Amino acid sequence: MIVSAHRLRSVGWIALLALCAALVMILAFRVNALRSQVHRAEVHIVALKQEKMYLETEFETRANQQQLKAWNDVEFGYVAPTASQYLENERQLAAWSKPSELDAPAPIRVASADDSVIAQAAFPAMVSPLSGKALADEKPAAEPDAPAPKALDHAAATAALGERLGTVAHVDKTRDKARDKSVDKAADKSSAAKTVKSKVAAKAEKPAATKAKTASATKPAKPAGKTTKLAANDTKRKEQKGK
Amino acid sequence: MNALTASAAIATGRVQLANVRQKSLVTAKIRALWVLVLFVFMTLTATVRLAQLGLFEQTPERTSMAEALLPPRGEITDRNGVALARAFPSYSLWFNPKALGEGGAPLVKTPEEVAKALLAIFPDGDYADLVTRLKAGKPSYLRRRVLPEEANRVFSLGEPALEFPRENQRYYPQGSLAAHVLGYVDEEGAGHVGMEQVLEKRLLDPAQRGTPTALSLDARAQGALEDELGRGMIDSKAKGAAGVILDVDTGEIVALASLPSFNPNRSDLAVNDLVFNRVSNQVYELGSVVKPLTVAAAIDAGVITDLATRWSAAPLNIGGFTIHDSHSFGASLNVPEALIHSSNIVTAQVADKLGGPALRRTMMALGMNERPTIELPARGFPLWPHGTNKQGDWARITTMTVSYGHGLAMTPLHLAAAYAAMVNGGVWRPSTLYKVDQAHIPAGRRVFKASTSARMRQLLRMIVVDGTGKKADASGFRVGGKTGSAEKPGSGGYRRTSLIATFAAAFPMDKPRYVVVAMLDEPQGTQATSGQRTAAWNAAPVVSRVVSRIGPMLGVVPDGSRDIDISDLSPLVGNGDGE
Repeated sequence: MIVSAHRLRSVGWIALLALCAALVMILAFRVNALRSQVHRAEVHIVALKQEKMYLETEFETRANQQQLKAWNDVEFGYVAPTASQYLENERQLAAWSKPSELDAPAPIRVASADDSVIAQAAFPAMVSPLSGKALADEKPAAEPDAPAPKALDHAAATAALGERLGTVAHVDKTRDKARDKSVDKAADKSSAAKTVKSKVAAKAEKPAATKAKTASATKPAKPAGKTTKLAANDTKRKEQKGK
Repeated sequence: MNALTASAAIATGRVQLANVRQKSLVTAKIRALWVLVLFVFMTLTATVRLAQLGLFEQTPERTSMAEALLPPRGEITDRNGVALARAFPSYSLWFNPKALGEGGAPLVKTPEEVAKALLAIFPDGDYADLVTRLKAGKPSYLRRRVLPEEANRVFSLGEPALEFPRENQRYYPQGSLAAHVLGYVDEEGAGHVGMEQVLEKRLLDPAQRGTPTALSLDARAQGALEDELGRGMIDSKAKGAAGVILDVDTGEIVALASLPSFNPNRSDLAVNDLVFNRVSNQVYELGSVVKPLTVAAAIDAGVITDLATRWSAAPLNIGGFTIHDSHSFGASLNVPEALIHSSNIVTAQVADKLGGPALRRTMMALGMNERPTIELPARGFPLWPHGTNKQGDWARITTMTVSYGHGLAMTPLHLAAAYAAMVNGGVWRPSTLYKVDQAHIPAGRRVFKASTSARMRQLLRMIVVDGTGKKADASGFRVGGKTGSAEKPGSGGYRRTSLIATFAAAFPMDKPRYVVVAMLDEPQGTQATSGQRTAAWNAAPVVSRVVSRIGPMLGVVPDGSRDIDISDLSPLVGNGDGE
């Protein structure tokens, strides 16, 4: 019994050793397989790099200074930039803008978000030297006597718009129809007065039923504040013109 | 007894049987053992081989990636990494008459047909030569360098005898650009003429050739300089031209051109007179371009303290030798006027007052008495005037002629380095073809005071604004410079019609960055140069065009609203017209 147990143990050891050897061998094989893969990849990289070098060299040869010069002489005629083509800063850029003439139409505004909030935020609130808080904070949040925002005078706004664009001659005739929001929108969005004109004319000729449809299909009116602002601007301009 | 006998007989038979059985059993066992040994041996062999392959796989051609990518000769690039010279395994066209086997005809078609087809692919080939080579039946190169597409076309001829071995050759993608700087490599692989010769060791060293060598050149500026010099050469029907662009603060040579040039890709065509470098090897008496150096030396030494002082402009007679001007500029001139009109007489007087030793010291400090500092092997030794005593002091007349650029012959590179020192604040630095990093700019040696340099910048700018250099004024680049039209010495004195027309300039003058020297060898008066052969009409326009082309590339922004302040000097000159 004792002998057989001894033998069993040694057989066990041998088996373990064989197993380890087998595992090591498998590992070694895998390592080598990977190594040869790396080698193959390297060979591939070398081939690709050489190919790249050939292509680069060919490109450089075809695009060498003398060749480019010859092409430029025949095909393109590019010349080096002159002093007048360089701008050093914003001031030089601004110097190129033309001052607006007296009877020039005002620049056309495109729809944009109300920027008064941004403008307010841009200026830091005045801070009280005593409390260290913003002065605005010390006042009651909403002043009772603050002027209420102006109600939308849409007719005036539209009229002013027509005047501002300068060329919409028959706005008066179609004033009621022109209240149609779609016209307003089209006029505001369009950059050329002529387009507006033709659109307005088209609208005017269409039967009432179509107009109503168009009105319901278009987007809702712009925020009141914006329109008010526009109207206010236009009245101001009117006054200046009158002067 | 009977029974015993019988049993004995049976027993004997049994024993015999047992013996036979035993024997055959042993034989079988031995045989089985053999088979086992064989199997074990085979298994062992297989295992060992497997382990050998798996563990120590060694292929004979195995090389590292770095080794495979190492070029046989290092690459040379410009300062921005544009390849100027590289090892390139290009195709060559090899005629192998044994490709179709021994005995038979080497070609499928007749040699005449093949030669004709080859001529259609390579129009510059020689038909008769091709036919003789194809008929000779000896293996030979039909062409050293063939483009891949040309190789494809030759392949489609269907002639197995025409082979395309890939050979490592030196290739210059930019063609003849900067040929004098680069040089060429001959068929044995040895570098000649330029940096190929200078860098031979480094380019072949396995440890170093993997990384490209960056030169100070800028391929774009080099292209512009060669192009404009070439145009100036054609316009004025000059024999040759030379030009150099130098960084005033570091001494780096941004461009160096000597025309006519050669194509280093065709080393067989690199004959001596094309390989000759006019910028660093040929010395010239450069004439009036030296005058500003004389004036700078005089201002530096305190000889000229008041630029309004008037000097007599009457022809000067010194020991039987009369110094003239190109034409009369009136009774007297001040120094700014003398530079603007390029007066020999006034410059000679200034030099006379300064004295020979002081002028000589300045010229020596500017490196005029030794070969130009550049890495190229082709460096000309200046013709330095002989002294009259042991110290080498010049005679009075020598001092005077040297002051306006005669009697001292130097290379255009000497002049460029001297101008760089004159405008950069007064520090002379050796010029180099290696890219210099900002941390290792050579200290150089001070030749002029900073105040002198500032004054000279004003004077050089005035020459371009009001004087002989008007045609060099690239608008917005604040160019300053000086013309020089020197007669070439010939047998029996100077030749009036063989000139060396030079324009040495720096820009932008309010903070000089680059010196540009353009020189034309024997320009003629042509329609393009308004019939004139002086530098104002041929070399100055070259500089103007070069500056307006390279300025934006080299980071100099043209600005019409900016200039060096010359308001303190401009009242000193009436708006004169030049030479």
